[in-house]
Amino acid sequence: MIYDEIIRSIKNIPAFPAVALKVMALIDDPDYAITDIVDVVKYDQAITANILRICNSAYFGLKYKVVTISDAVMRLGQQNVIRAVEAAGVSKFYEKAKGYGLEANKLWEHSVGVALMSQILSKRIFNREDAKLYTTALLHDIGKVVMGEFVDESFMKIYDIVSREGISFLEAEGKVIGIDHAELGGKIASQWNFPADMREAIAYHHRPDLMTDGDNNNAWLVYLADQACIMMGIGLGNDGLAYKGLSEAIVRFKLRQKDFEECIMMMLGDLERAKELLGIIS
Amino acid sequence: MSEIVIGISDLKVSNDINDILVTYALGSCIGVTIYDPVVKVGGLLHFMLPESSLDPQKAGENPAMFADTGIPLLFKSCYKLGAEKKRMIVKVAGGASILDDSNFFRIGQKNITAIRKLFWKNNILIDGEDTGSNYNRTISIHISTGKVFLKTAHNGMRELV
Repeated sequence: MIYDEIIRSIKNIPAFPAVALKVMALIDDPDYAITDIVDVVKYDQAITANILRICNSAYFGLKYKVVTISDAVMRLGQQNVIRAVEAAGVSKFYEKAKGYGLEANKLWEHSVGVALMSQILSKRIFNREDAKLYTTALLHDIGKVVMGEFVDESFMKIYDIVSREGISFLEAEGKVIGIDHAELGGKIASQWNFPADMREAIAYHHRPDLMTDGDNNNAWLVYLADQACIMMGIGLGNDGLAYKGLSEAIVRFKLRQKDFEECIMMMLGDLERAKELLGIIS
Repeated sequence: MSEIVIGISDLKVSNDINDILVTYALGSCIGVTIYDPVVKVGGLLHFMLPESSLDPQKAGENPAMFADTGIPLLFKSCYKLGAEKKRMIVKVAGGASILDDSNFFRIGQKNITAIRKLFWKNNILIDGEDTGSNYNRTISIHISTGKVFLKTAHNGMRELV
């Protein structure tokens, strides 16, 4: 059965990078010290190289090159450095992502788009950036990395159900394959020992309304950011736009249509400047 | 043949018969192609939102972002290459929406309404259209023939007529 094969294949996913995991744990404590983060990161050369590459990208427009992690913290601020750590740690999982009719790198582009949008929304709604939300957004579609080939094999079957029954691609995926990419992402997050709120946000990123923890705002923000990128066609696959729109998201955050559209414009601008970030997996 | 890719909020026009203009991954955004078969001049616009009133400054910097500023610019750019309005063949694709329980996410629907209004007001007929629903589209126009091709995951490639 495909289901068993999929569950078996997630066992082969490499461990989540220790550095990114440690940083996640550190920032979970509101009194974290940035020096602790620098200490954790500087011994991982591959991640350090990628962080510096991100920090020196046109996105930040620095005049002088940043050469050490402490430098980066000073010049860009800790939020940006933490985001770079997470992006550098997460990107490798998307390197060979196939499926959903997407060309190489497109799923990563989508993930970066959703991560950038999550921060824009968080700033607009709560007036803060949130590194944990950023990491969650980067990983929301991690289930697709594993599901991709299986979905491609069953695409016409899934698509037929979507168009005939008018249900979402997610539900049809579940019907045909036995599990959908969001639920599978949740399982991968468990395997990586992610905290419960992150795991839930990944598992329910298309249906935050079904979550038991009603206070998990991050799941709703990832949801909204994902819808925005899907609508704008960023890393849009052959699952298209066949996902559920939940007006509850709007009520919850008191967002006006205009706010949402303005955020979308900002995101496309950010994505344009984040080309280096996209380049780290090629 | 050389393929010229048009990104989001972008437009290109051409009178080089070797050119194919193409835009990928139209979700709620809309791709508009226009073509004058007499002078073999064509253009492709990929706009994202209906109305420039959302951000007039952005619209000034990049008119291709909005329907109401992008479409006039698309036509004017083709006129500069000798095209004439009365001969224009106009085709549109995109404007998909997610499965909605409210109007909030209907940027696709709003985009479709915006172009219909705009074309109606300016006496322009749409000669070929594949809009709405919830799937991902890619369109291209061949400058040599004016043929427009639409690609979707479930139907593959077909000519948009």
